[in-house]
Amino acid sequence: MKRGVLGFLLVSHVALATAAGEATGDPWMVLQKAAQAARELSYQGVFVYQSGTGSRSVQITHMNYGQGEYARIVVLDGTPREVLSQGRDVVIFSPRNEKVIIEKRRGQNMFPAVLPSNLDAIKTSYDVRLGGMERIGGRDGQMVILSPKDKFRYTYKFWADREYGLLLKSMSANDRNEPMEQFAFNQLTLMNSQKMDWFQPNVSPEKQYVMEEPGAGRSAPVEAITWSVDQLPSGYRKVDEITRLVPGKPAPVTQIVYSDGLASVSLFIEPLLKGMAPKVGHSAFGATHFYANVLEGHQVVVVGEVPEATVTQIANTIHFKK
Amino acid sequence: MKDQVSALVDEELSLEDSEYLYTAIRSSETLSDSWTTYHLIGDCMRGSPIFKSDLTDRIMQQLEQEPVVLAPKAKKAVYKTPTLWSVAASVAAVMFVGWMVLQQQVQTHGEAAPAEIAQNVASEYLLAHQSMAPSNSAYYIQPASYSESEK
Repeated sequence: MKRGVLGFLLVSHVALATAAGEATGDPWMVLQKAAQAARELSYQGVFVYQSGTGSRSVQITHMNYGQGEYARIVVLDGTPREVLSQGRDVVIFSPRNEKVIIEKRRGQNMFPAVLPSNLDAIKTSYDVRLGGMERIGGRDGQMVILSPKDKFRYTYKFWADREYGLLLKSMSANDRNEPMEQFAFNQLTLMNSQKMDWFQPNVSPEKQYVMEEPGAGRSAPVEAITWSVDQLPSGYRKVDEITRLVPGKPAPVTQIVYSDGLASVSLFIEPLLKGMAPKVGHSAFGATHFYANVLEGHQVVVVGEVPEATVTQIANTIHFKK
Repeated sequence: MKDQVSALVDEELSLEDSEYLYTAIRSSETLSDSWTTYHLIGDCMRGSPIFKSDLTDRIMQQLEQEPVVLAPKAKKAVYKTPTLWSVAASVAAVMFVGWMVLQQQVQTHGEAAPAEIAQNVASEYLLAHQSMAPSNSAYYIQPASYSESEK
């Protein structure tokens, strides 16, 4: 029986691979295959993440043999952070001094699974074209370029493995063609084993393990929203909304997340109470832009891995209903 | 020995065969800490409902209401409280630094370097953004506040 499953897996790998190879004519098809391959294949590798001046090597093990996705991510440089995920459930282990903080989260798209399964949202905001073939981490990668149709997002470049379809590299760049964030495998292998012995954290018994403090994510009673964003940059739509109590803040903060399928922006609004120093101004840090403003007695902060124009427009077109 | 404790938690060793281990865990503080840690990790990975925040809150409230008994047995219960608080305190400290810088910035009419604002003030917002955005690898790899508080 096991041999049968394995055989089927191998066949499906080949099928995916051939499809990716044949699809070189249609760049959207290459991206579609990349999105699928990142979730369906079982692979292990090391990639390097670069943002601003910082860089980190990350080891990823991803397995999917029909019963769902399992992944383990270990940050190899600096603090030995570890992430284990099963389906949409994610557990993060972050050593901090003498402790290890355990966080539970809902899953997010992460390299190499950065592309959404449905590309329709991306198609409305980006133009696509094929680039050349480049060798990355010992494998051949087909480059696909997504150029923004307006000034509200970065350019994205993806390199998909010619054989397996999986993303080998991804990069975002601003309008001056300066790299913003980059991920690139320098080692990648497909796994045929179904062993799950890798799916456990590396425990340091001398450290104390604690759950993250309960106050951090506590949701607050939802108040009626008295404002709206009048001119949301085109292509962005609301994907999440949460009102929560933040430690050290007397009033709840509302966070709204917008996404165009690739890029995402968060809008924070909270009442500006007496004694709070208002934040005003714009700043940038790596790929991230911030814009803070005070409107009708509210502190507004917009943050995202998007160009300055996007955060500025969202913050400046908030309209409070009287 | 710790590997054996892990194996016992994962039920890879049977209780009957590991009586010596059980005795060792009870007698050694380090081993009984490992025992607790492995259970905590195991419960997290299996999605145990014990760690849902409302329940944690309830336990914390009960702990606060309980009178502090100055007897050796109460030590364990009291012990939990300061560890959680110290995490909250460090978050508060980061935010306090943020406010200080901001106030200075407002006074000087925004002459401070933009990079400073980004690193000091906005980290709480950046972290909240990263943890909620539909695709954000940075949160797993290099979260904003962690790199800062490590210094």
